Amino acid sequence: MSEDDFYTPTDIDMLRMENELLAFEVRFLKTRLGRSGRGLGISTPLSRISYLAEAKGDLVLLLRRLGSSPLGPVFRLSREYRVLENRYLYSPEPQGPPNSPYQISHLQGAERDLVLLLRRLGRPPLNLIFGRRRSFRTLQDRYLSEEDGTSSNEQRNGR
Amino acid sequence: MGRVPTSNETAGSAIVYAGRFADRVAEAGLPGGYAVLSEWEVLPAKLVADIEGATALVVLDPFSFPFEIMTGEQWGVPLIVVLPAGFDVEFLIAVFGEVVFGRLTLFDRVATADKGTWEVLRRRYGWAGSQRVALESDAPDDAAAEIGALLEAENATPAPLVDGAPRGAGPEKAIHLAEKAVLEPQFADAWGDRADDVAFDVLEVGAGTGRWAASFDLARTRFFGVDIDGNLVAAARANVLGASFERLGPDLILPYQNESFDLVFSVTVMHHHPTPAKKTLLSEMWRVARPGGRLLFLEEFVSGRSEEAVYPMSVNVFVALLLEATNEQVVLEHMESLRYPREDLTRGGVIAVSRLGVPEKW
Repeated sequence: MSEDDFYTPTDIDMLRMENELLAFEVRFLKTRLGRSGRGLGISTPLSRISYLAEAKGDLVLLLRRLGSSPLGPVFRLSREYRVLENRYLYSPEPQGPPNSPYQISHLQGAERDLVLLLRRLGRPPLNLIFGRRRSFRTLQDRYLSEEDGTSSNEQRNGR
Repeated sequence: MGRVPTSNETAGSAIVYAGRFADRVAEAGLPGGYAVLSEWEVLPAKLVADIEGATALVVLDPFSFPFEIMTGEQWGVPLIVVLPAGFDVEFLIAVFGEVVFGRLTLFDRVATADKGTWEVLRRRYGWAGSQRVALESDAPDDAAAEIGALLEAENATPAPLVDGAPRGAGPEKAIHLAEKAVLEPQFADAWGDRADDVAFDVLEVGAGTGRWAASFDLARTRFFGVDIDGNLVAAARANVLGASFERLGPDLILPYQNESFDLVFSVTVMHHHPTPAKKTLLSEMWRVARPGGRLLFLEEFVSGRSEEAVYPMSVNVFVALLLEATNEQVVLEHMESLRYPREDLTRGGVIAVSRLGVPEKW
C-alpha cells in the first residue's frame, strides 16, 4: 500500500513509530550534548585556562618590571632573557579563541617560562635583591610554593 | 443550599461553583441538573477530584473560589468565569489578572453583561471574541440559568469552534496546554534577542481559529495565519484582533513573498495531508521563511489520536520529506517528544529547524 493512502496503523506500526520518535530525540540530545561540550573546551577546564592566562599576565608584568629596572641591561646580556622578552613582550598575541589548542599550548609555555624565571631569580645572588620585594615573594608563593609542582593558586582554580 | 456532588456524579458533567450565591442559584434551579457548590463545600482534596472528572467548571463567584488549589490537571478543564458586576476593571485585573485572566485559553470563557469591561480585558489578555458569554443580567442566579442553558444547548449540538474540537471537550484543552508548554519556549527562542522595535513576522500554517495567536504579543508581532477551511478563517478573523488570516487555496501555495517571515510554524497539520501535499507545504513554508528564520512543526508522528482521517508518518519519514522539500537547506535546532495527557503512547513531537542560505535582498 502506498504511503499516500489512508490506513489505520496497527499496534505494531504505532510502536515502531513511537520507537523512531524516541530514538530520534535521543540522537538529537546526544548531538546537542556533544556540540555544547566541544564549545566549552571540555578537554581543558575553564578554570585551568583562566589560571594559565593569569600566569602569562604575571610573566609579562615581571618581564616589564625587570626590563625597566637598573638591572635591565644586565639581564639582556642573557640570551634566554632576550628570548623571553621577544616571545612575550614584542611578539604579536596568538589569534583564536582562548580555548583553542594553540592558545592553550601558548599559555602553558608561558606558565613554564614563569616558573623557570622565578626559580632563576630566587637563587643567589639575585635572591638577595628580589627576595626583599613583597610582590616577588607573592609570585613565588603563587607559582613555586608547592614542592610537588602544583601551586596553591592552581589548587584554588580546581586543577 | 446546594448539594455536594460525588466525584462519580461530576464525571462527564459540568460543575457550577456558586459560592456565596449557592442558595439563590439552587432556588432558581439549573437546567441539566448540574451540581452546585457553595463556598462551604469546597474542601480542596474533594474539589480537585471533582474538577478533574468534569467537562467544564463554571465559577459564578470568583471572589470566594480557591483558585490556588488549581494545578496543571485542573486547569485542563474548560473554565467559564462570571465577572463580578459593579467593580472597576483595574480592580478586577489586580485581583484576578495573574491568577485567572492570564491563564485563560481559547477553550475558556468569560461571562459578563458589561461589554466595556469585556473589551478592555479582551484587548489586554488577547482573548478571542468567541470567549465571551454575553449575559443578559449580572444577577448570579440569572447568570447561572443562562450559562446552564448554554451548556445544555452545546451538549445537544456540539459546535466545533476550536479547531474542530467541540466546546466543553475537556481533554482538548488539556492537549492544548500540553502543546503550549512545548511550543511557547520555541516561540521565545525564535524571538531570540531581537530589539523590541524590530518587527517579528510570524506565519501559522493551518491556523484554524487562531488559537496560537494568543501566545504572541501582537503589539510587537505581525501575526499571519492561513487555513484551507474558509469557515475557520472567518472564525479566526472574528476571534483575534491585530492579526491577519487568509484562506489557503487548494494548490497550497502560500500567498506571501519569498523570505517574509521570521517564524513559520504548523501545529498538527501535516498528518491531514498525503505526501505530495505535505511536500508542497514544507517547501512553501521554507520559501516564505527568511534565511536564519525558524521553521517549527508540532506534529503527531504516531498516527492520529482521534478517529479522523489521517495520513500517518513517522518522524523519520517526516524529516526525510523536510530535507527533500527544502533541498537540505535547513539545520536542526530543537527536537522534543510530547506525550499527551491520558495517552499511553508518546505521539507528538516538536521539530525546529533554521533556514540556511543568504537573503535575496540585503
